[in-house]
Amino acid sequence: MIEIDEKELKKLNIDELTHMFMDNINEQTMRLIKGIENLIQENFKDFKENMNYVIKTNTEVQIKKQFESKIFKSKLMFSKADRLKLFNKINDIKNIGEFLANRMLLYKAIFPDEEFKQYILKILKLLKSISNKITEAVKSIGSDLSKAHDICEEIKEERRKMRIEEWKLLNRLYNYDMDYLSRTFLYLKNLIEDIMMLADHIKNFSEYIQFLATKYLIFE
Amino acid sequence: MADDLSLILIIVLIIMAIGLAFSIGANDETLSALVGAGVLKFKLALIIGGIAIGGGMIFFSGGFVAKTVGSDILGEGIQYTTYMLLTVLISSIIWLVVGSYAGIPLSSTHSLIGSIFGVLIIYAISQGGVNPETALNWDKLGDVVLSWFLSPLFGLLITFILFKIIARLYLSHLKGLNQIEKSERNFKWLLLIAVIFAEIWVGANSGEALGILYGLLNNGSLELSQYFFFSVICGIFAFLGIYFAARYVIKNLASQMIDSRPSEGLIIQMSSAIILMIATIFGLPISHSHVIVFCIIGMGLAQKKEVDIKGLGKMGIFWVLTFPVAAILAGFIYLGFLSFGFL
Repeated sequence: MIEIDEKELKKLNIDELTHMFMDNINEQTMRLIKGIENLIQENFKDFKENMNYVIKTNTEVQIKKQFESKIFKSKLMFSKADRLKLFNKINDIKNIGEFLANRMLLYKAIFPDEEFKQYILKILKLLKSISNKITEAVKSIGSDLSKAHDICEEIKEERRKMRIEEWKLLNRLYNYDMDYLSRTFLYLKNLIEDIMMLADHIKNFSEYIQFLATKYLIFE
Repeated sequence: MADDLSLILIIVLIIMAIGLAFSIGANDETLSALVGAGVLKFKLALIIGGIAIGGGMIFFSGGFVAKTVGSDILGEGIQYTTYMLLTVLISSIIWLVVGSYAGIPLSSTHSLIGSIFGVLIIYAISQGGVNPETALNWDKLGDVVLSWFLSPLFGLLITFILFKIIARLYLSHLKGLNQIEKSERNFKWLLLIAVIFAEIWVGANSGEALGILYGLLNNGSLELSQYFFFSVICGIFAFLGIYFAARYVIKNLASQMIDSRPSEGLIIQMSSAIILMIATIFGLPISHSHVIVFCIIGMGLAQKKEVDIKGLGKMGIFWVLTFPVAAILAGFIYLGFLSFGFL
């Protein structure tokens, strides 16, 4: 298990802790995506390893504790509540990811056909992109709110594209010619819906960042 | 016996004037912007604000607004009698208490001037030799009433322009949250200065208390040294009003302003202080609450926010009604005194 040196953590300021937290969560999301790709490729060993990494990693708890203690004592004037909310929204990505990873480990599903696999990979590629973008947006909040706002606009656009693919996939799942085991159907349905849930959370998070930009920026 | 009664009345009036000074401090919420922004510790903010309002009242009220209320608004050769002053105070207090119970924001300044008007008209009508047209200094009264309309509008305008200038030159160039936080941290010290400045002029423009004392000085009930002594006492009670009574209002309002920006508070306070200062120098008693409400509206308009037209309309109705209602009320009370032979 990776541990972060507490002394090093204490040296970081609120902004740096937020960035570190976001990187940490993004890395876990990438491992989650990688794990699903492994499952599609029927590489079960790596699939299990990646899912367990997401479930068992708790370095973010250390960062969260340090962040909460710092923000409580901080002399930040009016952005305290917003920064705390931002942090919790990042943490929710981890919670959804962990839930998804746990569910995926329940059963090893066989994907019906190659086309189905390609659809899933396409969605995962988009999920990877919006996850990286939300990381970039969070890191821009401190230095450039306009940039963060623009990145969030891109996230929303990609989420729209992703949703179209997801519905196509669900449609294909429900109307598949061949019969498959009911638990396979349920597993695949849940997988698609859980990916949608994670993507939806990232989209909502990006809207919150846009709200912050609107709240704090003064345009002339 | 008659002398004893008038002495008692003078003492009652002085006590009421001191009570008014206390209530001016107790109703002042200027400090909430400062406390909300966390610039100073709560008690220290109360002490500094109290000193500023008390100081403003002692040093700047007497020669300007108190003089208007206590003497300049009267017609040539007219002086307040103790019953007139008592009527003015009773009428103002009744109207303000009714307003508070009904949850209506009323201006104590408008109420006071309305009461003075009512009393003087009844006085002129009831005294054969006094022409109602000369009982009041109509030019001065006209200036005062005009200032009630102009001061909120100028407050709105100054806030709007100040915000636009600061936004264009500085605020719109701030890019990230860290930069904004840092700049607002600097603004909080300017806010401290602006609030002290505003408190001084709130104290200076609150002519109700010292106006009564000036009236007593003008009719010879008080000597100059006594007037100065009681002015200082009024200043001290304004301080005590803030320290002991206003703290609850300030704490409550400050908790709602926790995420407000010191830069916005600075512009609002600065604009209202400028208006109050100019009005005070011209000896015009204006409503601080009305000015600050319009300054906030000015800020909202500058930021393209929605304005609560309904709330504003309600305020406007009572704003216009206060003067005639206080005048009629004071007129009736004074008629009551006259019917018992108390002039």
